[in-house]
Amino acid sequence: MSGSGARPGQGGAARGALIALLAAVVLLALVPYLFGTYWQQLGFRALQLATLAIAWNLLAGYTGQVSLGTGAFVGLGAYAFALLGNHSAAPLPVLLLAGGAVPAVFAVLVSPGLFRLRGLYFTIGSLALAEALRILMVNLSVFGGASGIVLRAATPPFYALYWLALPVMVLALALVLVLLHSPVSLSLRAVRDDEDVARQMGVRSFRVKLGAFALTAFITGVAGALQSLKLGAIEPYGAFGMSWTIDTVAIVIIGGIATRGGPLLGTLLYVALGESLRGLPELHNAIAALVLLIVIRVAPQGLWGLLLRRPWRRATAAEASDA
Amino acid sequence: MPEPEALRVETLSRQFGGVAAIDAVDLAVRAGETLGIIGPNGAGKSTFINLISGALAPSRGRILLFGEDVTGLATEARTRRGIGRTHQIPRPFARMSVRENLLLAARHARAAHERRADREHCDAILTRTGLADVADWPAGRLPLLRRKRLELARALALRPRLLLLDEIGAGLVEAETRALIELIRSLRTEVGAIVLIEHVMDVITACCERTAVLSSGRLLTVGPTREVLADPEVAAVYLGTGEREPAPGAAPAPQGGRQSSVTPAPLLEVRGASVSYGGVRALRGVDLVVGEGEVVALLGANGAGKTTLARAISGAVPLAAGSIRFAGARIAGLAPELVTARGIGHCMEGRRIFASLSVEENLLVALPPEARARAAGRLEAVYAMFPALRDHRGKSGTAMSGGQQQMLAIGRALMPAPRLLILDEVSLGLAPIAVEQLYESLRRVRATGVAMLIVEQNIHRGLQLADRACVLAHGELRLAGRPQDIRASPELRALYVGEDAAATAPP
Repeated sequence: MSGSGARPGQGGAARGALIALLAAVVLLALVPYLFGTYWQQLGFRALQLATLAIAWNLLAGYTGQVSLGTGAFVGLGAYAFALLGNHSAAPLPVLLLAGGAVPAVFAVLVSPGLFRLRGLYFTIGSLALAEALRILMVNLSVFGGASGIVLRAATPPFYALYWLALPVMVLALALVLVLLHSPVSLSLRAVRDDEDVARQMGVRSFRVKLGAFALTAFITGVAGALQSLKLGAIEPYGAFGMSWTIDTVAIVIIGGIATRGGPLLGTLLYVALGESLRGLPELHNAIAALVLLIVIRVAPQGLWGLLLRRPWRRATAAEASDA
Repeated sequence: MPEPEALRVETLSRQFGGVAAIDAVDLAVRAGETLGIIGPNGAGKSTFINLISGALAPSRGRILLFGEDVTGLATEARTRRGIGRTHQIPRPFARMSVRENLLLAARHARAAHERRADREHCDAILTRTGLADVADWPAGRLPLLRRKRLELARALALRPRLLLLDEIGAGLVEAETRALIELIRSLRTEVGAIVLIEHVMDVITACCERTAVLSSGRLLTVGPTREVLADPEVAAVYLGTGEREPAPGAAPAPQGGRQSSVTPAPLLEVRGASVSYGGVRALRGVDLVVGEGEVVALLGANGAGKTTLARAISGAVPLAAGSIRFAGARIAGLAPELVTARGIGHCMEGRRIFASLSVEENLLVALPPEARARAAGRLEAVYAMFPALRDHRGKSGTAMSGGQQQMLAIGRALMPAPRLLILDEVSLGLAPIAVEQLYESLRRVRATGVAMLIVEQNIHRGLQLADRACVLAHGELRLAGRPQDIRASPELRALYVGEDAAATAPP
C-alpha cells in the first residue's frame, strides 16, 4: 500500500529535507578533522543527548507515554556493555547492540505491570521503577555494588567516540523518522490522543505501546553503552542517575515535544547553554529551568514549533466562524 | 433458513456500585435493520452501546455478533469483527488531522490485504459527511457539531457490519436533520445493521423500522416504531405530554409570552456589535435589546453567530466594533467575572458541572466570596425554582440525569442573583420529557423577574417562552419581533431551515 503519512505536495519538501539531512551528516562526520578534542568531546555529548532525546520524544511525544525511566535504560545499557565486554571477546558493535537489547528486554518484562498505569500514574510508575533499579544496583555486589565496574578494554580517543556516537544518533533518527512516516505513526498518535477510542478503532494499544517502549529503551540503552565506553568505568549513581532523565526531558521540551526536529534543536541549545554557563555551575540549573519555563509559556510546541509557522492559523479563524 | 441476527444480547446487565445501569436486557437486532433506542436521560442507552462495543465489561449476560459470542473479546477485537460506534460526547484524536482520524480507523478494522484504496475510501466518506473542506485540520480544532460528524465519519471508515450511533442528531436544524436522515437511510445497503440512539424523534421515525425503549436500565418495550411511540407508557416515561412541535411558518400556536404591549425599560442594549475570529467576521453590526424582566429568544442556523453574540455579551469574546450597555453602564471590554458581578449570568453550551463537587457545592461555588452571607437565601431561591435539585443536594453533580444536570447548570448561573440570564442551548441532548420539565422550571425563573436571553435550537420551545424573538443569519440580525409574528413569518423558514441553512452548514 502506498499511503504513508505523507500528504500530496510534501514529496518535494521531504526530499529536500532528506538532502539537507544527509549534507548535515557529512559535515558532522568531518568535525574531528576540523576541530580539536574539546569540540570532539562536546560533540560526543551532544550526539549522545540527541539520541536520548530522539528516543524519549518517540515515547512521550508521539505515543503519549511520558516516562521518567530514561536513567534506568541508560544504566542498564551501560552495565550490559561493561559486563559483556569484560566477560567476552564480542566486537564493539555487538556490545553496543547488547547495550540496547538488555533495556529493551527489561522494558518488555515490566510492561504488563507498568501499562496498567495510565497518564500521570505511568509517569510516576516509571520513575519509581528507575529509582528502585538504581538502589538495587547500588546494593547488588555481583555487579560491583556502589563502586561499580572498571572496563578492561582501553578507553578510545575522543575522535573515535565521536565517530561512534554519530552513526548511533543518525540511525536512531532515521529509525524514528521512518516509523513516523509509516502507518504505525497513526497508531502511536491515536493511542496518545485517546487510548480507549484507539482500541475502539481496532488499534491493539498494548502492542503499540510495548513496541514504542521497547524501541525507546533500546535506543536509550545504546546511548548508555556509549557512556560506559567513554568513562572506562561505571558506577550506579552516575549511570542510573536522574540527571539523564532531566536532561532528556528538558531538551525535548525546549526543542519541541512531538516535533521531528525538536530533539536536535533542543540538544543544540541545551548543550550551548550548558557550555556558556560552565563557569557558573551553581547557576546552570537555575538558568536552564528559567529557559524551560519561558519556553513552556511562550512556545508550548517548543522552539521547533515556533520556527514552523503553524499552517492552520487560517483554519482556526474559519473554525471560529462556525461556532 | 432464517435471516441471521446482526446482534443479540441475552440478560445483559451492568452494575455501577449497587446501581444497575443495564438490567437483564434481552434484545436482538435483525440483519439489515435499523433499530432505534430511546429513553430518558440516564436510562442506560450509552451504557448499552459501551457494553456492546467492549468499552465496558458486562456484569452478566452474553453478546452475540452475527451469531458469534463476543462477550469475552477485547474492544479492538470486536472492532475487527465489524462493530463501529460513535460517542455521544465526541472523542476525536485531537492532534491528528481529520483525514488521519479516518485513515487510522480504515487501516485497523480489516486485514492487511483488504486495505487497498484506504485514502479514496476515507476521502469519499469525508465528502459524504461534509468534512472534505476540513480534511487537513487538526481534529481538535473542529467545533462541536463538526466533531459529531467526524464521529460518524470515523465509524464509517471502519467499514462496520454493525453501526452503533449515539445521539448524532442533537443540535441540528431541520435541513441538517433531513440530510442526516438521508445519509442513515443510504447506509442501509452498506452496513449490516444499525442501532440508533436518538432524542430527535424525526430521525427515529424516518429511519427505524423498530424501536426499543430503555427506562432505568430495563427494556420497557420493543416493537414497530409507530406502535412504540403511540404507547401511553412510553409517553409517560419519555415523550412527556406528547406536544408535537409545529413546523415554523405554520399557524401560530397559543402564546406563553407576555402579551402586554408596554415595552419594558431596556436592561441590555447591544448596538452594532461585531466580532471577528482571526480574519473572519462572525458577527456584523448586530443590535439587540433585552428589557427588564423580558425574555428574548435568539434563533438561527448553526454558525449564524448566536453563541458568539451570547459570549460577546458576557465578555468571553472581545468586540471588534459596537457597544454593549447593561443597566445603563458600558460593559464591553470587561472581563467575564466583572460582567458576572454586574448581574449577567451565563449558562454556557455544555453543562460543565464539577463532578467532584456535590450539587449544593456546585451551586455555592458560583457565589462570590463577599456574597457568602446570602448563601442560604440564594440556595432557597434556586431550590424553589428547581425542586429536583433540593432532592439531590448531597449527590455528586454529575450523578443526576442529564435534565437535572442542566437544571444545576442554570441554577448555578442564578446563584449570584443576576438580572439577566443567558441560556445557551439548554435543551441540547435532553429527552423530550426532560426538555418539558426544564422549560417548566424556566417559567418559574421568569416569574421571579429575571430577564432571559435564550439561544435555542428548539424553535418551538424558545418561542413559547419568549416575549420577543430575534433571528440571526450569517452573523447579521435578519428578523426581530413578537413570537407569533416570527412564527408566522414565511421568512423564518427561509432563514432558519431553508436554503440559507443549507448554505451555511454543509449537510
